[in-house]
Amino acid sequence: MTAERIYRLLLRAYPPDFRAEYGRDMELLFRDQCQESDVRTLGFWARVFWDVARSAPALRIEAWRGRGSENTQTVEVIMKIAGMLTVLLAAFVIVGAVGEWVAGSKGAMDGRYVLAVVLGVFANVLLLGAGVAILLGARWGRQPARLALFASLVSAVAARLLFPWMSIFSQLVGFGLPVALLIALYWPSKTSTFRAA
Amino acid sequence: MVRKRQAGRSPEAYLPLPPATFHILLALADGELHGYAIMKGVAARSAGTVRLGPGTLYGALKRLLEAGLVGEGRERADPERGDERRRYYRLTPLGLSVARAEAHRLDALVRAARRKRLIGVRPA
Repeated sequence: MTAERIYRLLLRAYPPDFRAEYGRDMELLFRDQCQESDVRTLGFWARVFWDVARSAPALRIEAWRGRGSENTQTVEVIMKIAGMLTVLLAAFVIVGAVGEWVAGSKGAMDGRYVLAVVLGVFANVLLLGAGVAILLGARWGRQPARLALFASLVSAVAARLLFPWMSIFSQLVGFGLPVALLIALYWPSKTSTFRAA
Repeated sequence: MVRKRQAGRSPEAYLPLPPATFHILLALADGELHGYAIMKGVAARSAGTVRLGPGTLYGALKRLLEAGLVGEGRERADPERGDERRRYYRLTPLGLSVARAEAHRLDALVRAARRKRLIGVRPA
């Protein structure tokens, strides 16, 4: 296998767009280097591999971040939909819990159960607040939504510990939804700058 | 080639430049050059201490083009290096201003080091 063919394989480490734009120039430059260096030495290949290892990951990250910034609008729309779903689900669970409370209030209720229901309702009120904060994200920023989600998750965990027979649906809304939204809210959205060069 | 001109940014906003980037701008201060000529110029100017491989060089050139500090010249063959057509690069007015600003910044640092007798004094 010739040195140029090896280098052509190494070029696959770079992002496709970058390769399409500069691949030919890079091959040409590599050919120039081969003409003036001894390609059979370890030092030559160490420099070649070091160059690829140093530059390709940075360019991959830049390309990935670039795509991220292009998709910002789509992500914002998805977050709005997630915010609306959160509000609807939280409201549904609150109404269900209150209905259950009213139905069960005729008989004697265990103290732990009462506390679990109160915590569950509180968690869903916070979840509802987080949903509203996500919907008004442009005005409030992400921090209020994150705080509400953290508090909601803690309340849901406390309610689950007090009342282990919590329904699967309530657990999905109480744990799964805040965790998924927290991941989405902490996902980096910054784009690359020239300073990264 | 997409060029995102970052209009309204002062040359100082780009500082400090990474060493490889400043070397590329310095090389292009001589006029239009293709990739290999830039690489050779950088190696010669730094006495071989800065060696730009193809990935580092074209990665930096891509960023410089996007920032509007470097522009593309006419593609042509280098008579010294065969018939293959090569892409040439040149400094833009903004690139020249940024290179000057970086040179001034480094000059101020060197003068400060000299005042503190870190350089320019023979060791006892």
